[in-house]
Amino acid sequence: MKLDLSGLESTVPHFGTSDGLSHGFPTAPSFDLPITGDFDGFQKEAIQMVKPAKGTTTLAFIFKEGVMVAADSRASMGGYISSQSVKKIIEINPHMLGTMAGGAADCQFWHRNLGIKCRLHELANKRRISVTGASKLLANILYSYRGMGLSVGTMIAGWDETGPGLYYVDSEGGRLKGTRFSVGSGSPYAYGVLDSGYRFDMSVEEAAELARRAIYHATFRDGASGGVASVYHVGPTGWTKMSGDDVGELHYKYYPVTPSTVEQEMGEVSGA
Amino acid sequence: MTKQAANWSPYDNNGGSCVAIAGIDYCVIAADTRMSTGYSILTREYSKICKLADKSLMASSGFQADVKALQKFLAARHLIYQHQHNKQMSCPAMAQLLSNTLYYKRFFPYYSFNVLGGLDTEGKGCVYTYDAVGSYERVGYGCQGSGSTLIMPFLDNQLKSPSPLLLPAQDAVTPLSEAEAVDLVKTCFASATERDIYTGDKLEIVVLNADGIRREYMELRKD
Amino acid sequence: MESNQAKNSLLSSHDNIQRTQYPYVTGTSVVALKYKDGILMASDMGGSYGSTLRYKSVERLKPIGKHSLLGASGELSDFQEILRYLDELILYDNMWDDGNSLGPKEVHNYLTRVMYNRRNKFDPLWNTLVLGGVKKGQKYLGMVSMIGVNFEDDHVATGFGNHLARPILRDEWRENLTFEEGVKLLEKCMRVLLYRDRSAVNKLQIAKITEEGVTISQPYSLKTFWGFSAFQNPTVGAEGSW
Repeated sequence: MKLDLSGLESTVPHFGTSDGLSHGFPTAPSFDLPITGDFDGFQKEAIQMVKPAKGTTTLAFIFKEGVMVAADSRASMGGYISSQSVKKIIEINPHMLGTMAGGAADCQFWHRNLGIKCRLHELANKRRISVTGASKLLANILYSYRGMGLSVGTMIAGWDETGPGLYYVDSEGGRLKGTRFSVGSGSPYAYGVLDSGYRFDMSVEEAAELARRAIYHATFRDGASGGVASVYHVGPTGWTKMSGDDVGELHYKYYPVTPSTVEQEMGEVSGA
Repeated sequence: MTKQAANWSPYDNNGGSCVAIAGIDYCVIAADTRMSTGYSILTREYSKICKLADKSLMASSGFQADVKALQKFLAARHLIYQHQHNKQMSCPAMAQLLSNTLYYKRFFPYYSFNVLGGLDTEGKGCVYTYDAVGSYERVGYGCQGSGSTLIMPFLDNQLKSPSPLLLPAQDAVTPLSEAEAVDLVKTCFASATERDIYTGDKLEIVVLNADGIRREYMELRKD
Repeated sequence: MESNQAKNSLLSSHDNIQRTQYPYVTGTSVVALKYKDGILMASDMGGSYGSTLRYKSVERLKPIGKHSLLGASGELSDFQEILRYLDELILYDNMWDDGNSLGPKEVHNYLTRVMYNRRNKFDPLWNTLVLGGVKKGQKYLGMVSMIGVNFEDDHVATGFGNHLARPILRDEWRENLTFEEGVKLLEKCMRVLLYRDRSAVNKLQIAKITEEGVTISQPYSLKTFWGFSAFQNPTVGAEGSW
């Protein structure tokens, strides 16, 4: 019962593995598999029991000044909102971001793993990994686990030697290069706003506002999205967080409360 | 006897609720001590809180055997860490170790729902919440287990710490004093016990601050 | 490529392995409690083959080493395998000849790991075990289930006992029960189980463990009274088609 673990191993020699202290402990990580003939059935049952966090709106697009990345922050388990403060934009390194849709643990773990690989690439080659390369590392790993129930829908956005880069990668093995993506249950709503408002030659401020507005409108119509709309910008010097706004408060920005016109002022009742 | 499909499950839900609250210089971790299976109570005195290091405590509910295996694994890893580094693991380090440990069993998960509470390297209270396969998040307060859906909205209402994602950033630790936090925990367990059959018997509260660890108990309904 | 191969072996190679996925010959409840000087444990001696009462004098209470007493319900062949494991464990412990010996806490913990490891292999030992003992004045009483769930308590009961005996124990158990009181309480539990658990038989053993060691009683029967009106005419007042 061995699974291909090469995706987890580092490319540099591992020191201190034979210290004799860690007998029976996985110093090189390994996945425990259920010893059952019906892996799929077990997986299905297990997933039903642990109910991983799901439901998301994330988007990213390339424009004149770089890449804009935005996401909501809600995680729900069935009808229950298990968190309103999930960090769905994962900071892989100062020049690259990943987004999180699908299984929270799958995304978090494999992005952490990708971060390690990118750093090792940097140390081995004295230059940062390209967005193309990083997204392919992730796609290859996810492909090697295909059919085993991983659930990941991610965008890798960054700035490398060739300029801004944006890829969509998912757990089914898909990997697409593009200039405009949205992933998650709220993506149709986000696409609606994004596609109608997108221009390549936007300013950073305009782009951030578009991203924010797209996320807000997705959280407004998609019950599984909500919380805080976070917006990141990736430029030649790396990423910066542009904003983080509670969508409950954003609502009053997009739909200000206007005092309703009073047709007739109620007067004091005279006498009694 | 006819050959039948496996009619046993490798999992059981032994219930229980866990709460943790982070303060400026303290952390309160609490859990009830009931252990059940189905409608039966197995024991009324089972501690769900485990001390992993000097400044990190884990409260877990779910499947007791998995929880125990997880605790033993972390204890062993922490012992190795102490031999190699000659110090106690910090709470944020333990948090990530727990996350990775849970994820390595992604295909045969530990059916355990954990909250990790402790003090970070600056002495500030910290709380981490997890799902069963290892996604985790640092929060101001957290709640897991069978009564979490009853307790969490109450905590949100009472504490509503600003989201750590907000920009400009606002401090996420709860404004409560240590005594107020302990009182709040008592209140939410007393309430959860009224409506959750898997929560009850006794409440164990562990308070962690610069002085060390203090334990407190409160009786809960036993029906 | 490699991973594909790995996956295929994962999905196929274990299909043709047969494991005990259901019990054959089983024993029913074990009830145990702490008393003044140690632990008392009771179980009947029936061995059921499905609903057939196949064996009538199965000993399900066994001494383990010097300080422990083990009671088991569930699959009897698996219990015998566990006894073989424990014999080996105790033997190897004796071979150190260092004056130390495994106490009930250690044995219980060992059983916990054995049960949990077997469930991890999807090949469980179909038992619920009760382990009691006394060492250095410390009384110990714990339980382990088929899938590794384990705990300690002042009184425990397996299977039906958890439903029928433990409410009685919760009501009547005290810290300083005398031996006679303890036996009386256990007999009360066993009698209730005999009345309502169809696989229970009226031939039981009670074992005691104290600092001095284990004593297991000869098999004996309980006095029963079947003249309760609820037994005479159980359906009186019950509405239904029959």
